[in-house]
This record gives sequence, structure tokens and C-alpha cells, in this order.
Amino acid sequence: MAGISRRVLLGVPLAAGLPADAARAWAGGDDGVTIGWPSDVPSWDPNRRFVPDAQPIFKMVYDQPLDQDPRLNLVPSLIARWQLAPDARSLELELRDDVVFHDGTPMRSADLRWTFFGRIAAGHRVDTAHAWRMVSDIETPSATRAIMRFNSPAPTAPAWLAFLGSFVVPRDYMRKVGLAAFGARPVGSGPYRLAEYQPRARIVLERNDSYWGPKPALRRVTVEIMRDTATRAAAVQSGQVDLTISVPVREVERLARMPALAAELNPIARVILLQVRDDGGFADRDIRLAAHHAIDKKALSQAFYGAAAVPLSLPAPPDPQAHPDDFTFASDPNLAIQLLARSGHSAANPARIRMATTKGQFPADYDIARAIVAMWRQVGIAAELEVIDYARYFELNRANRLPEATLYAFDNATGDPEAYGGYLLNPNLPFSPWKDVALGRKATGLFDMADAAERLAGWQALNREAVEIGACIPLLQSVQTLVRRKALAYRPYGNGWVLPQTMEWV
Amino acid sequence: MTLLAALARRLLVVPPILLMASLLLFISVRVLPADPAGMSLPPTASADAIAAARRQMGLDRPLAAQYAIWLGRLVAGDLGRSVHLRRPVTALLAAAVPATIELAGLAMALAAGLGLAGGLLLFALRGEAAEMLADAGTTLLMSVPDFLWALLFILVFGVLLEAMPFTGRLGPALLQPGGTGFLLLDSLLAGDIAAFRSAARHMVLPAAALGIAFAPPIMRVLHASLIDVYCADHIRQARLRGLSPTRVLLCHALPNTARPVLKLMAVQFGLLLGGALLVEEIFAYPGMGALLVDALRNADLPVIQAVALAYCAVVLGIRALVAGLRLALDPRLRAR
Amino acid sequence: MSGMGTGRLLRRLLYPRWLRSGRVALGLLVVVAMLALALLAPALAPHDPAAQDLTLTLQPVRLGSAFPLGTDGLGRCVLSRLLHGARLALWVAVAAAFGAMLLGSALAYAGGYLGGRTDWLIGRTVDAWTLFPPVVLALILLVGLGAGSTHLVLAIILAEWPRVCRVLCCEVRKGMRRDHVAAARLLGFPHWRTLLLEVVPATVPRLLTLLALEMGSAVVMAAILGVIGLGVTPDQAAWGQMIADGRAVIHQAPANLLAPAAAIVITVAGFNLLGEGLRRTLEPRPVGGRQ
Repeated sequence: MAGISRRVLLGVPLAAGLPADAARAWAGGDDGVTIGWPSDVPSWDPNRRFVPDAQPIFKMVYDQPLDQDPRLNLVPSLIARWQLAPDARSLELELRDDVVFHDGTPMRSADLRWTFFGRIAAGHRVDTAHAWRMVSDIETPSATRAIMRFNSPAPTAPAWLAFLGSFVVPRDYMRKVGLAAFGARPVGSGPYRLAEYQPRARIVLERNDSYWGPKPALRRVTVEIMRDTATRAAAVQSGQVDLTISVPVREVERLARMPALAAELNPIARVILLQVRDDGGFADRDIRLAAHHAIDKKALSQAFYGAAAVPLSLPAPPDPQAHPDDFTFASDPNLAIQLLARSGHSAANPARIRMATTKGQFPADYDIARAIVAMWRQVGIAAELEVIDYARYFELNRANRLPEATLYAFDNATGDPEAYGGYLLNPNLPFSPWKDVALGRKATGLFDMADAAERLAGWQALNREAVEIGACIPLLQSVQTLVRRKALAYRPYGNGWVLPQTMEWV
Repeated sequence: MTLLAALARRLLVVPPILLMASLLLFISVRVLPADPAGMSLPPTASADAIAAARRQMGLDRPLAAQYAIWLGRLVAGDLGRSVHLRRPVTALLAAAVPATIELAGLAMALAAGLGLAGGLLLFALRGEAAEMLADAGTTLLMSVPDFLWALLFILVFGVLLEAMPFTGRLGPALLQPGGTGFLLLDSLLAGDIAAFRSAARHMVLPAAALGIAFAPPIMRVLHASLIDVYCADHIRQARLRGLSPTRVLLCHALPNTARPVLKLMAVQFGLLLGGALLVEEIFAYPGMGALLVDALRNADLPVIQAVALAYCAVVLGIRALVAGLRLALDPRLRAR
Repeated sequence: MSGMGTGRLLRRLLYPRWLRSGRVALGLLVVVAMLALALLAPALAPHDPAAQDLTLTLQPVRLGSAFPLGTDGLGRCVLSRLLHGARLALWVAVAAAFGAMLLGSALAYAGGYLGGRTDWLIGRTVDAWTLFPPVVLALILLVGLGAGSTHLVLAIILAEWPRVCRVLCCEVRKGMRRDHVAAARLLGFPHWRTLLLEVVPATVPRLLTLLALEMGSAVVMAAILGVIGLGVTPDQAAWGQMIADGRAVIHQAPANLLAPAAAIVITVAGFNLLGEGLRRTLEPRPVGGRQ
């Protein structure tokens, strides 16, 4: 699990070493903070939708059974101790007894059972139903003990307890008020409670003074939803927000020169890649490989990330465990031209495909997509680019209507290799547009493997095979850009979490 | 004929117009390539579940039947739920519509003020060399679209001078007072002066961008109608009676221009709402425009059609208001 | 503006007074210059507008260099994109304005000439259609039609025609009330003849004015749709798209935003001057006040 290298955490310091401008009042006052965030929560039901950008907001209102430290090691949270059986078919959990939901009721093992089993069995349409599909039951011998039973080995279950959508919700409250009312007045056990919510505009949170864990330093957190990158950069520059993320890298460089601001580029545990299909314009393996060879990843990193994003040859972060040094995929437009010629394509008679990208979801996504389209045009691939919303990726994939290539940032907060290749390449999961079953069978086989070392070797081989047959075009390690007032301290996480409960004015 | 009867007679055409507007909207949204049933379910929904949702929405029936189902639900007030935001559309509208009306109303007031001042200036300069210059000025002013003003204002007053906020409706550390959704009104009713100030300051730049862009046509029409009015007999007589020019202008001429100017403003309001769409997007102002653009990007059908209908309703409301005003101002119109 | 035959109109159109108006001359100059730039863009542009050089992003404005107006975030030549953007903008302006004009005027003539129920129906259709702000309607249509300049033109036509129709309807109705039109109908001339020879000519001045103004609003509409990111494909050089991209690099390379903004203002001003000038010379109004 300790898979994230130091490089990830050290980041690339860009901020000029000037003293903080103390003369100015902060946007949020001295016991509050205002944050410019790129997207809203999909709903206030934290189990409902997997949206990585909403994760830090959910983490204010709700708690996860397990948490991660800044280096992404699993640490206790609602669960004080956990023990996975050697065959990975059951997981014993011991819960804290001092956790209280915002409505005053204590958190019990029944709430955990409800979150990960009961509400799924009750037919709630939640994305966690998919992640926890292998749970056959959760036994609750006492109010603070629970045993999760799986119908297939689940070696990564502990990691999932700290991953997307795994937030414990209060069973009785949710049952009493119903789902719609829960969405309007959410109740969690987190360090903040929701004070005001204007959909698509702002979220105001007040400190939960009876929080069981470390008390946050700031009393009030205002999250301003700003979808436009230029707006976010201007807002942090003019002091309307105290901190924002995902601004263009060149804006980070500019804002870093402002005396009151600190600007950072943090490589995080996300990979930017092209998800590809195995049919349509990409049915031909040579065309897929040509598409991969034609991309100059170094130039992309240089132009859009100030060279801070590491070019990748495999769909995993640059971590020696998942990314052995003996494999590199060459950037070679001439080779691409030769491969295309084999299929009868040239710049004059290009292979035609469609490509999708998000815009504003991560820094420079739209620019990267357009740059790739231009690189392809040089070698003889004509791509028609369309912009989609991050959430639509799943919808289109389910309908099997994703285009041949999609620019995608795969978030893997856990750092476990399974969550990369295994999810990206498994045709049974909502992430993968690659529908060839041969690769998928190998991936599913690895999911059930209980031995950790064997599994890791398996994932490495699978990732490599995927790249070699053109089932996946990894590009860059993702870089999180963050601009804040210099006087606002926060704790950086290797997966890019920005948590207001770790912030304080210094 | 009384005022009320005249109004009532005019209201008779509203239902057929609304019916036509709904048909137009239905056709427009059904051209969309998205699958409305598939979009209302989570990523892992089965093909059966999607098929069931399709049946429920009538998507397997002919278009005419779909329209009937759709219209029936609208008439019953059932706007559906946002498939992307997973909330009742009515709740989204309740937040967005007042925000936009407030902004557009302020912008229109600003445009009217600027239009009045500019129109009077143009009229005062008539026949002089400066008129040409002022007139060319209005043409140039008319050629700068609202969104360019918006970008300019953000750059100058927001970023360079840091004088004005340019995102959202309310400053941080302030809670939105509940009530009608009209922030200026709500904050006054709640006696929350800080919120009122903050809300007003947040509206200055977007309203100014829209107001400046929509003032020139008002200047033009006011100027032209003043010239027309001055040719009319009663103004000539008033001038011949030796009334002061200011008095003639303010008491005799100006009231006579109200009709064309009001008519223009009614037409302009629809255009201004359209302009507000991009301006809202630029200022991250959570109104109807931002809601619609968001919905279009996500092919969120229920929201798209509801916002489009809301635009219709607002424009219709403004038209009715102006028609009523004109009828009240000008009894001659009632006979027609 | 009493009865005016085609011959007289032609004479009047060719009469120099028409061109002596400063507004018309200036507007025409701007529009023709823009048209020339657009037509000659492939020859004038120093680079392929889509050619990127990721090592030369955000170059500053340096007249006389390889990139006179600098480069954008992808290292593409701003001047070349501006020129090719002019092609798109003017094509959309001309095609959409003519399309809206054709559709709007055809319905206006039909309604005005036939009167009765047809007129009522067309009038109410216009009322219903204009309940939607044009931008809103164009946006909804574009999402359905998909990006591309043809679709863009189509969406703008469908959004803008009612405005043309509404203005022309008044003109046609005024024209129909005139004696010689009634006489022509009584004499049993074919409908098309009466329309073409008696009704249409009287509306031509207004038609020309409207055409110029509509072209200006089509440029703005296309820009708005481009800024929002709908209407043109991402690799197309379009002014609206350039503005959207330019916003993000305003501090690094302001020409990316200023150049397309200026191009829009100048082009729209050209069309507005032309329209204004035509209105004043072709449809003279009384000049009251200080005679």
C-alpha cells in the first residue's frame, strides 16, 4: 500500500520565498476559509456517485471507516482495528464507540451494515452497490464489532473502506426521513455540518463542535463552485477565495510571483491516459499503436505542466512497484507513419476516429486533447474531438457509445495497482471501454488472487500487455495545481485531497 | 372599453401561443441525441431497467403520443427531476429564476437610465456637428456585445483594481437569507444589511455589462421618437406658446415617447435574457443561463426543457406587464 | 416612400446619394475589407491555423516576426487563426442573415398578402417563437444538431427569422393597404405578379437595412456560441473559441483575447454602420426640432 514514492509528496516547489502579506484580510475571515472548487457534489448522498473531486467535500460532512494519511497508508478512522482473513473472504472490524452523528445519535455497527450492505440490498441506486457487490453479509455481533463476509476473495476490501463512496451514513435517520429529505438535509459524523447549500453555486459548512476526532481549526468553510479555470485563477488573485485548485499551470507560475500567494504543482496518484475501444476506427491494432507512438508525451508535459508531469509508459503512477524501469514505450512519429502505412493510411488518407475529452476537470485537459489531435493529424489519424462532462463518461460507456479514444484522468486514491489496470481494463466494470474479454478475464482472475506478491506481478504483466496490444494509451502522471494565500496552511495528500479540516491560518 | 376588458381580450391569444411554444420546444429538445431514459439511471443499470424507464417515459411510442404525455405532465406541473443533478427541477428553477430576473431587471433599469440620458443627449445635440460624433458613438457602443463588456469589467474592476467581486451572488462568511430567492429583497426583509450590500456589489459588474450593451437601442429609439414628437402639432403649439424648452421636453415631449420606448424594452428584454446567459456563465452567477448551459453540456433533458419554458414564462410575463402599462398609459389602444 | 417600381428603385440604388452617406461608405469599407481578408485568408495567413508547436506557446506580439500577433496556448499562430476565423464569421454572417431573411420575408409576404387566418397563424407563430431568447433557442438546436459551420448557420437562421418576419410583416401590411395594390388585385393580376411588382419593392429598403443588421447579430451570436464551446468543432479557427481560449492566457499573451474581441467589434460595427446608413438614406425620417 505504501506505493507512493517521495517524489509524489515533495512536489515541485514554485512559490517564491517572500513574506506573507499580513495587511490584507482573508476572504473567509480569520476563523473561516473560502475555497474555489471546480465542481459541485453530485448529490449529498455520499454513496451514490463516484466523483473524485467531490471526495474532499464529502470528507468534511461524513467519515470513512478507514482513512489515509498524507502518504496514503491506511489509518484507523471510524474503525479502530481491522483484520482481513488469510483467504480474504472475511474482514473483521472493530468500531470506535465515541462517534456521534450530527443529529446526536451514536454511530453503531448497524450503520456500517446499512451503508455497505443494507441499503444496497434495499435496492438503493448507489454506485457503492457495484464496489461492494461481493459482500454477502455483514454480521454485527455487538454495537462496535462487525464482520464483513465476501462471496469471493476481496484482498482490497480494506483499501476500499477508505476509497470512493465509502462513507458511513446513519441508518435510522436515512430510513426515517427518506432519500429525498436526506439529500436536502444530510447528516453525517464528519468534522463539519452543512449550513447552506446553493446547488452549483456554494456550499457553506460549520464546524461540528462535538466531533469525535481532532477539532478543525477553522469554524466556517465556504466552498464556491467555479467551473471556469480562468475565473478560479482570477478569484484567488483578487482575494475572493483563499484557496483553489486545478488552475492552468502557467497561471500557477504567474500567481506564485504574487507576494501574498503560494502556488504549488503537486504530482498526485492520478494517471492521465487515453481510454480506447477495440472496435470501430480502432479495431486495427496497428492504428492503436500508431496513435500511441505519435504522441510526444514529453512535449505535452513541457507545454502544459511545466515539465512537472512524468510521462508514463504504463497505466500506473511512476512508482517502481507498478512501473518497472525495463519497459518504455517510444514516442516515434515515424514508426507511427510506418504502422499506419501497413493499414493503408497516410496523412492524405487518414484513419478516422472520434475522441472525447473533459474541459476543466483537470488542468489543461482540453489543451492536451487538442494537442494530441494535432499530433495525430501529422501522422495520418484524423480525430473528431468532442467535449463531455466527467460524469457522462460512465453514461456513454454503459451505452457502449464512448468514442474510440477518451482523455481521462483515472483517480486512484488508494495507490493499489488493482485500481489502475484492474478497473481500467476490466470490461465488466463501468470504467473500461475496452470490451475484449481475453484481457478482461485475466484482470478478473487477478482480483480474486489472495497472495499479494503474486497479484502485484500479475498486475505488472497485465498493464504491460495492455500497452503492447494498444488497449490503453497512458500519457502522464497527473499534477494537481493549487493556489492559496500564503498564510493559509493545509496538509497535502499524495492523492490530491485538499481537506479544510487540515487548514489553519498561520 | 375598460382597461380590464382590453387586457382580457389580449390574454385570449396566450393559450395558443403557449401551445405553439411548447410544440416548438418539444421538437427542439427531441432532436437531442441523448437517451433520456438511460441518463436517469446510475452507470451500472441493466438494459432491462433502461427499457422500463423508456416505456414509462413513452419513448417507445410515436412522437405525437410522446408529446401528449410530455404536455400532460407539464400541465400537471410535473417538470421531472434533473438526471444529472438528481434534484427536482422545480427546486433548481426556484433558485435560478429569481437570480436571473433580479439581474436582468437591474440591467434593464440601468439600460433604461443610460438610454434616457443618452437619448436626451443625442436630442440636445441635434443639428450640431457633435451629433454625428455622438451618433457614431452609439453605433460603436452597439457593436460591443455584452460578454466583451463582462470580460473587460472583470479584468479592470475585478482583477486589476480589485474593487468589485465578480463571482457568485454573495460574499463568503455570509449566509443567504431564505425567502423568495430574490436576494436583494430577501436580505432587506431579513434586515441583513451586510448581505444586501454584498449581493448588490456582486450584481454591479454583470448588470453593468448587460446594461451598457442594451442601452444604445434605447437611446436611438428615444432620440428618434423625440424628433417625431417635436414635429407633432401640440408640441409646436406648446413651443409657440413660449413654454421653456426644458418644460416642453419634460412635460410634453418625453411622456409621448413612453410608448415606443416601452415597446422596445419589451422586445429587448428577451434579448437581454439571452445575453445574460453567457454573462452569468462568465460571472459564475447561478442563474437560469448558467443552469441551462450546464444542462446542455450534460444533455440533461428535464432541466433543458424546464429552463427553456421558464424563459418563455418570464418573457411572456414581461410582455403582459408592458402591454398592461401601455394600455394604462394610452386609452386609445384599448379600443383596438 | 410612396409607390416605387422596380425600375425606379434600381435607379435609386445606383444613384450616388446612396453612397455619399458617410455611414454607408465607412460601413461598406469595413465589410468589404473584412470580406477581402476572409477570402484571401489562405494566401495572407503566415501559417496553417491548425499547425501547433508546443515549444513555441504564448509568444508575444512582435510585428515582423514569424508570428506577428504571437501564438496561443498550443503554439498556433494567432494572426492565422484570426484570418481563418474571419472566413467562418463572415460565412456564418452572410449565410445566416440571408437564410433568416429568406425564411422571415417569405412568411411575412405570405401572411401580409393572404391575410386572414394565415396572417394570424404566422403572427402567433412569431409570437411563440420569440418567447425564447434567440441564443437559448440556437443553443438547444445546436446541441441536437451537433457542431459544424452548416449547423451553426441553420441554428442561427431558425433562431433569428422571427425578428425579420415581425418587422417585415408591418411593412407588408402597410404596403397592402395602398390603392394600387388593391387595384392590381381587383384587376385579377396573378398573385405572384402583384406580390413581386407591387408589394415586394416597397419593402426592399427595409429588407436591405435588416440584412446588414442581421449579419452583425449573426457574428455576435456565433461568437457567443463559440465562447460557450458549442457550434464549432474544437479544431476550427473561430473568434468565439479564440476568446474562450484567450481568457485563460490573458496575463501571458493578451493578444489572444484582444485580437478576436477587436475583430468582432470592428466587423459588427461595419455591419451596423452599413445598416444604419442604409436606413437613413433609403427610409428618410422627418428631422424635427430645430428647423
